[in-house]
Amino acid sequence: MKVLQAAHPAVLLVYFLAVTLVAMFVWNPAIQLLALAGGAGYAFLIRKRGELKGDLAFYLLLFLLIAVTNPLFSHNGVTPLFFLNGNPVTKEAIVYGVAIAGMMLSVLLWCRCYSRIMTSDKFLFLFGKAIPRLSLVLSMALRFIPLFRRQMKRVGRAQKTMGLYASGGYVDRVRGGLRVFSALITWSLENAMDTAASMKARGYGLKGRSHFALFRFDRRDALLLLVSGLLLLLTLCGVGAGLTDFSFYPTIGELRRSPAAYLTYGTYGALSFLPFILEIEENLKWTYYRSKA
Amino acid sequence: MDILQIEGLSFSYPGAAQRAVDNFSLTVDSGEFLVLCGESGCGKTTLLRLLKRELAPAGERSGRILYDGVPQEELEARVSAHEIGYVQQNPDSQIVTDKVWHELAFGLENLGVPTASIRRRVGEMASYFGIQDWFRRDTDELSGGQKQLLNLASVMVMQPRVLILDEPTSQLDPIAAADFIATLHKLNRELGLTILLVEHRLEEVFPLADRVVLMERGRLLLCDTPRAVGERLRGRDIEHPMLAGLPSAVRIYQALTAKGECPLTVKEGRQFLSAHYRPAKPEPPAAPLPAGTPAVELREVWFRYERDLPDVLRGVNLRVYPGEIFCLLGGNGTGKTTTLNVAAGLDRAYRGKVLIEGRPIREYKGNTLYRHLLAALPQNPQSVFLKNSVEEDLEEIPGAMGLPPHERKTRVADMAERLCIAPLLNQHPYDLSGGEQQKCALAKMLLLQPRILLLDEPTKGLDAGFKRQLGGLLEELKRDGAAILMVTHDVEFAAETADRCALFFDGEVLSAAPPPLFFADNTFYTTAASRMARHLYPYAVTCAGVAEECRKGGMIDD
Repeated sequence: MKVLQAAHPAVLLVYFLAVTLVAMFVWNPAIQLLALAGGAGYAFLIRKRGELKGDLAFYLLLFLLIAVTNPLFSHNGVTPLFFLNGNPVTKEAIVYGVAIAGMMLSVLLWCRCYSRIMTSDKFLFLFGKAIPRLSLVLSMALRFIPLFRRQMKRVGRAQKTMGLYASGGYVDRVRGGLRVFSALITWSLENAMDTAASMKARGYGLKGRSHFALFRFDRRDALLLLVSGLLLLLTLCGVGAGLTDFSFYPTIGELRRSPAAYLTYGTYGALSFLPFILEIEENLKWTYYRSKA
Repeated sequence: MDILQIEGLSFSYPGAAQRAVDNFSLTVDSGEFLVLCGESGCGKTTLLRLLKRELAPAGERSGRILYDGVPQEELEARVSAHEIGYVQQNPDSQIVTDKVWHELAFGLENLGVPTASIRRRVGEMASYFGIQDWFRRDTDELSGGQKQLLNLASVMVMQPRVLILDEPTSQLDPIAAADFIATLHKLNRELGLTILLVEHRLEEVFPLADRVVLMERGRLLLCDTPRAVGERLRGRDIEHPMLAGLPSAVRIYQALTAKGECPLTVKEGRQFLSAHYRPAKPEPPAAPLPAGTPAVELREVWFRYERDLPDVLRGVNLRVYPGEIFCLLGGNGTGKTTTLNVAAGLDRAYRGKVLIEGRPIREYKGNTLYRHLLAALPQNPQSVFLKNSVEEDLEEIPGAMGLPPHERKTRVADMAERLCIAPLLNQHPYDLSGGEQQKCALAKMLLLQPRILLLDEPTKGLDAGFKRQLGGLLEELKRDGAAILMVTHDVEFAAETADRCALFFDGEVLSAAPPPLFFADNTFYTTAASRMARHLYPYAVTCAGVAEECRKGGMIDD
């Protein structure tokens, strides 16, 4: 169990939105670097076994691809490094490409962390409050999809042992697939009758339906919300005051180095590394407990 | 105190000539455990559905149903929804949501119970049913037994006073079914819950019931304590399909003439036989070894689903000869079905040989394996049908085999006659009962004119009458020289129909032998009849067999 998995869905949503939106819209190398490092660090901590190798290759490739594409197609900037097919490849375009690639990468990493932590039931809980009927429908759909898939496999296999639609021919196979599908629609309706009976038998449709979920908003959640809200607010103040303004074209600008600017980088860094720190803290705690036991 | 009163209830479906329920009267006491039985189509399900107002079918009806003294129509919607619980047959289709905890809370949400009390009641119910270990799981990951237990728990969480169950264990394996029945008994004993249960499998339920109701063609035939029912049925035709579903002890009692109380359980049956019958001289039956080329042969077959998963089959050796019925018995998830799939060419062994009529299965290219040679009936007969009527579905096969249209019709008509399904031909396959579906699916398989037939749990969900018909059919096919390999949990059916049985355990086929020898050797994994009579007649394994040995051995006169 990861630390954030136990947090309240609303807190999680606020946190992930805050950290990702800033990473997407604030074009500043320091902010970008912090977002990337925080996201990568956390993604590393919550990875599943054996994921690392494939992921590393994928992200590196993606990074290179995006970073290289920009200077090939964009010739803005004032510092040409060399010419390719008569077109200048500028230093500014390369830096900009690296920045876009970094931004894309950090957003991807954060989305990945988000999808691992915010499972469907948490998402449903959040939006179910606003639209209760929709949340039930989604929950039923999530229930039905694996059921449908299993039946599809069963029917396909049964048809195969009767030697129907399984001869090598492509047309035959497509035709077979279509017929299986249409039979499955009938099967779904039949199945839905039972489900409807089961719902009605348990009083679905009575007035005043309530909404139950396993999540509780406790003090830890309040604290987490408060801290991330505060950090976001401070960061946004800095962004609003122009402390994070940065230009790539026509010449590469300079990072602000006032104490106020450092404070802004610091607050966003804290926001971005928050899950990483929480997770490490938890790990240390457990190592400590174990060594004592 | 009476909780349910049914007074002269009659019901007929629109357009039906016969009444589904016919002048039915019954009073159910609070806290009673009532078991309803009868042949398929005798109106049991219709009756149960009429008792739950939300599920009552549309049609013409007369008579009255009183719940707690109040006529059903005047019941408050909320009371009707939560005080009368209903559990259906199919474990899968009743589950509404994707998470176990949400399913448990669903009924309470509908009633508008506040979150805090839902939390407590759900927690309490999950603890009582032992659900806490899979409380946060997806409902789809559960086993069939767990699913049905969840369905029961999510009805119980609404705190009903009457629980109605329509064949809840018919889709479960014997162990899960026994667990489920034990849970019901516990609910009845510890909470005084009133239970109305419809069941085919009466071996365990029958002795637990306070009263048993026998139905025939929508009418109430008998309603009495199980023992009295057993005694009152004595002397009737014991081949009657309705009696074939009764527990073995009762059936043996009915086939014999000794006086005394009707035994209900294996223990009582054992005492009854010891008290009244002399042992016969045991003669071990001959075990002729079949000769010739096996129709299906598996030689040290190994199989696993993926490289990193554990082996499911570990060196399976199996031979099935033409003209024999071979039964593979064993627990759930041991790999019996996988063995069938490998033999049917659906899954491929990574080591070992699969020979079909002496040729490696790989040499059969394209459809050749499934034309005039091998057919496999899947566990779920619904998956066989794709069309809108049984007839269209059946005609597909001769069509695929390249027969001209007029011959297709005659083939299908012949087959329908042979399996007695002619009246079903115009119906939609999904409208048939489980037993009828099974027969039609089998008809489709047989149109392929197979010499080898593979059956996966063919008796699942069938009542005793259908089982007997199926047994007869298999016997006929066998006489025509077909090789039949069947995977089943149903020990009684295996004992009655198989020529050889084998136990599947730990990825291997163990000890193939004819049923009398096979079951005489097993102490636990054997028929109820054998457990009852083994101290007197070690080789009698079916009810009829025990009765015959008793007659041979003679009565102890007292």
